[in-house]
Amino acid sequence: MTAAFRLVLFAVSVLFYMPAIAGKPEFEVAIRQHLFEPSVIVIPANTKIKLWVSNEDTTPEEFESYELNREKVVLGGQRSLIFIGPLPAGEYPFFGEFNPKSAQGKIIAE
Amino acid sequence: MLLTSVIIVLREVLEAALLVSILMSLCFKLGIERSWFKWGVLGGVVGSIGLGSQLGFISSLFGGIGQEVVDAGLQIFIYICLLYICVEFINHYYQRHAVSGTLRAVLVIIILCAMSREGSEIYIYLSAFQSLPHASVSLYSGSIIGLGIGLSCCALFYYCLLSFSLLRTLILGCMLLTVVASGMLLQAGKMLIQADLLPDGQLWDSSAVLSEESLSGQLLYALAGYEATPAPAQLVLYLFGVVCMAAVVLTRYWHWQRRKVSAKVAGYEE
Repeated sequence: MTAAFRLVLFAVSVLFYMPAIAGKPEFEVAIRQHLFEPSVIVIPANTKIKLWVSNEDTTPEEFESYELNREKVVLGGQRSLIFIGPLPAGEYPFFGEFNPKSAQGKIIAE
Repeated sequence: MLLTSVIIVLREVLEAALLVSILMSLCFKLGIERSWFKWGVLGGVVGSIGLGSQLGFISSLFGGIGQEVVDAGLQIFIYICLLYICVEFINHYYQRHAVSGTLRAVLVIIILCAMSREGSEIYIYLSAFQSLPHASVSLYSGSIIGLGIGLSCCALFYYCLLSFSLLRTLILGCMLLTVVASGMLLQAGKMLIQADLLPDGQLWDSSAVLSEESLSGQLLYALAGYEATPAPAQLVLYLFGVVCMAAVVLTRYWHWQRRKVSAKVAGYEE
């Protein structure tokens, strides 16, 4: 296999992969007054999704979940993207590390 | 606020400070001067503020996955630097020589990168919440407690490593650096999965045995990047990290052993 052929193969695979990224179902969660709204997000099981986290507070928050293996700082007034899944059916809690007592929620995959 | 500050600062400090204490103890034992330490810490503080203040811009890069790409990039870069450092430490053990400018620069860069990764989050947290009414006292006292516990753990670790003989410290230090560096590759994998650049999945769930939230789970996370539910891609990266580093370190060790033997043989022949 020549290097040029490998390069073409890589380019083709990237081209095929791009629509797959665009086609993922999208979900939204907002942070208001250090609370997640909605606090329960129902997503399809065994499907990769895009979760947009909009922080409407002026203070930053870190979206964190041990069950989902995710952590991302979302600055005040910022909207951030987190890819989640594909997940087997079940419940996956998440929390805001900067306000762990109030900022709590869960993702339900079904 | 007090407890949250303790936990946030402790978690961030432990990770970087454990790495620093391993490097410091190895340098002490090998007789490598430690002037690089202050420059690394200074660079780390500047890097933390720089990275923290630019996080909004960084996050928007690469279509919203800039935070993950930069974090993964930093961790992979630290892994490569640690690989070089281990080889240099072994060289230094067998043949004492003046410390090169490259070795000093790499040590500074490792501290700078490791501190910036962790410190940027502390900077973001402190700078945002200090302006809230009634928050600053508990915020700062919590942060100081977190910093104190983190640094105490690392001082204990540093003196533990120093209590061994030179060869044992070198072997233990290289093993620990392998674990820390491979843990960084594991965490880089987590970031690349979060950015959808690597496939997600779950190999096992050990949270019932050792939860990531527990104190021992947090310690193991800081030292070896412990995950209770790792993805296959993370395990592949971890194993690659361990095998690659162990192979390089052992090759270097055998190289010096062979040279020692051949030097002895040459000595007898004369």
